[in-house]
Amino acid sequence: MAILEIRHVSKFFGGLAANSDVSFDVNEAEIVGLIGPNGAGKTTLFNCIVGYYPPSKGEIVFDGRRMNGLQPDKVCKLGMARTWQKVRPLTNLSVLDNVVVGALRRTSSMKEAREHAHEQLRVVGLDTKSSLSAGALPIGERKKLEVARVLATRPKMLLLDEVMGGLNPAESEEIIQLIMTIRTKGITQMVIEHDMKAIMRLSDRIVVLNSGEKLAEGKPKEIVENPQVIEAYLGAEE
Amino acid sequence: MARYVRIALITLALGGLIVLPLYVESTYVLHMMILIFINVIVGSSWNILGGFTGQYSVGHAAYFGVGAYTTMILMQFKHVAPWWGVWAGTGVAVVTALIIGSICFRLRGPYFVLASIAVAEIFRVSALNLKNITNGAEGILVTEVPPLTVGKTLITDWASKVPFYFTGLIFMVMIIVVTALVRRSKLGYYFQAIREDQDAAHSLGINPTIYKNTALAISAVFTSLAGSLYGVYVGFIDPSTVLALDLSVQIVMICIIGGIGTIVGPVVGAALLVPLSEALRSNAITDALIKAGVVSAESKVGAFLKENLAHAHVLIYGILVVIVILFMPDGVIGFFRKFGARRRTA
Amino acid sequence: MSILIQALISGILIGGVYALIGIGLTIIFGVMRVINFAHGDLLMLGMYATYYLFAAAHVDPFLSIVITTPLMFLCGAFLQKTIINRVLDALPQNQILLTIGLGLIMSNTIMLAFTSDYKILSTKYSSSSMHVGGISISSPLVISFAITAAITAALYWFLLKTDTGQAIRATAQDREAARLMGINVKRMSIIAFGLGSSLAATAGALISPTYYIFPQVGSVFTLKAFVITVLGGMGSVVGATLGGVLIGIAESVGGVYFGSGWKEVVVFVLFLLVLLFKPSGLLGKSRT
Repeated sequence: MAILEIRHVSKFFGGLAANSDVSFDVNEAEIVGLIGPNGAGKTTLFNCIVGYYPPSKGEIVFDGRRMNGLQPDKVCKLGMARTWQKVRPLTNLSVLDNVVVGALRRTSSMKEAREHAHEQLRVVGLDTKSSLSAGALPIGERKKLEVARVLATRPKMLLLDEVMGGLNPAESEEIIQLIMTIRTKGITQMVIEHDMKAIMRLSDRIVVLNSGEKLAEGKPKEIVENPQVIEAYLGAEE
Repeated sequence: MARYVRIALITLALGGLIVLPLYVESTYVLHMMILIFINVIVGSSWNILGGFTGQYSVGHAAYFGVGAYTTMILMQFKHVAPWWGVWAGTGVAVVTALIIGSICFRLRGPYFVLASIAVAEIFRVSALNLKNITNGAEGILVTEVPPLTVGKTLITDWASKVPFYFTGLIFMVMIIVVTALVRRSKLGYYFQAIREDQDAAHSLGINPTIYKNTALAISAVFTSLAGSLYGVYVGFIDPSTVLALDLSVQIVMICIIGGIGTIVGPVVGAALLVPLSEALRSNAITDALIKAGVVSAESKVGAFLKENLAHAHVLIYGILVVIVILFMPDGVIGFFRKFGARRRTA
Repeated sequence: MSILIQALISGILIGGVYALIGIGLTIIFGVMRVINFAHGDLLMLGMYATYYLFAAAHVDPFLSIVITTPLMFLCGAFLQKTIINRVLDALPQNQILLTIGLGLIMSNTIMLAFTSDYKILSTKYSSSSMHVGGISISSPLVISFAITAAITAALYWFLLKTDTGQAIRATAQDREAARLMGINVKRMSIIAFGLGSSLAATAGALISPTYYIFPQVGSVFTLKAFVITVLGGMGSVVGATLGGVLIGIAESVGGVYFGSGWKEVVVFVLFLLVLLFKPSGLLGKSRT
């Protein structure tokens, strides 16, 4: 059952086609890896999906609902949440309060929001640091905080943009475990990542972008053996 | 600070303020308290938009003036009692806020600041030019405030300062309560999220336009109450006092100097700045320096101080703002909090 | 019709002076990303310096530029080094408040020293005018326009042809890249603020024969300077030049059509329109 349908999406910035006629589906509770060399248009596609800007052409349908041109807050209300490539903590608020902000999306009761926030912090392993200021966290924990925060909005689908970027192997492993835990909750995920081993482990299917176009789509084993994909990665700067 | 200690202190302070007019007869002290109340109200109101939501409006005089003018025009020209007029004032202020918000909130950071200034200046110049409505530069003078009666009982004829004192106290308590409630509520969390990172907040389901305008509307309502009170109390308003850029700057300063984003900050800011400027204005400081022997009354310095320190309060504001921004960006409150924290860890 | 042409011409002439003010502000913003709310007060200092040079030593205001301009350059450089430099990385809102505070210190110190009395600098030619084709043009305005044109030309030469000028432009375009190329960005900031201050003060000197001189005169010009720089594009010297002339014309012509009481509103409404529809201005680079 496709929860997200990307239909012939293109995004132009002036004369530059950042995304060009991209089409694929994401099924419920799947983990789809979105990979491609730098500049392939991965984050642009995410931004179009969450309404940061509208696609120039094409349609984005989520849970049966056309999402083109919806504002990011409406997109979140519909159940689609994203993390940022460059982490964006609410620096002067506490770790707990960061997640409470996310939790308030689904409840107006402060008590409920706090409890829900604590729960999400437990899931990501930050509950002991709930009263620290978000600005005091190192990068690995900031990434976890961001995941906790979006989980608190009770999403149906998560877009994770290079959530392992800049982390050491131990931290990356924690994130991988986290992503797998999130899947057990029935939440669909699309993951942009450069760490190929992680993508191979996590993804049910992989979509490859190159220069704005969809290059290939399929199961991890198929992608890894796809000659065009190999050329795109070896030919391009990584 | 332990919760019970805080509640006890607040009750004590409030009780003290309520009974103060019984024990203090000096009209001068009452006058200063009224000014402090007005300053706390405008500082706290600004805090909701600037401190919590991060939108630094330097055009809040627009709401102060709108409140003052609405109330005064209704009272002087249409004979509407001010206790109804102030609410009309808040209504006009909310409409004004929504109009201004729809223009200015599309802009961020410094551009928002500039737009807020431009808008307030448009109000001021319009008030100067629309003489039929506002009397222009001549201003509006209060000739008589109608007595406040409930049924047949006379509550006050507004002859002394005491009724104004209590009005100010009530308005001040209102804004402080509202600030405290907002801070602990969903509104407060959303306001602060917008301040910290508007785009991140947007992606978490927060519509920035709605919430920024809400913060502005709340802020405008109380600023206009303060303006209305000021107008009826002082008895005279004109564009250069209630719609001036200087006033907008002063409003921001009360909050910045006291401690932005805190509940107590504007109170501290007002409690510091009002007595300071009154002391300067009345030559109390110069007299004190002379009495203490630091400066002799006949010397050149003494004469200079005596003549000029009275006008220096804005200069002192400027110096204070520069010092605060350079050395105490969290204001006086923030400075003492940090100082306290350092001592605890030492 | 001739009223319109007259308004147009005096608008262009005063626009030249406005351009100087705007160029100063835009250089400061371009190089340091600081929004200088004390800009009008720097102009005011220039006015007072000119007035007292005239009153005490009978130095003609236009000639006194030779003294005031370098003096205010040093003042500006000093301000930058001691105070402004500390807030380069602070929140823009705090920077604005800091410069507002500095402006208040300047205007109120002058008020304490010289009182709020309006001062008038009257020279022999203050109220004389030239007559060209049936139109009367104020002579001091013509002279100041000519001087402004000369200064602007010298400024362009400086920015385009000299090493320091090009370094300033590089810093304005991309501070980090400039630093990596070996440019001393700290020094560029000092020069930029000095330059901006001296241009503002020079503008003050140029208008002193025709404007009332009082401590608070700065705030009007600060706002105008912002309108000019936003209109022309923050950071663009050419934009500020055009913007200054455009604002001069808008104000002058607007005053004819709406009455002189409303000409400020014309400028502010224009400002808001630009902020809303083309915030990067006519020629500006868009800023994040």
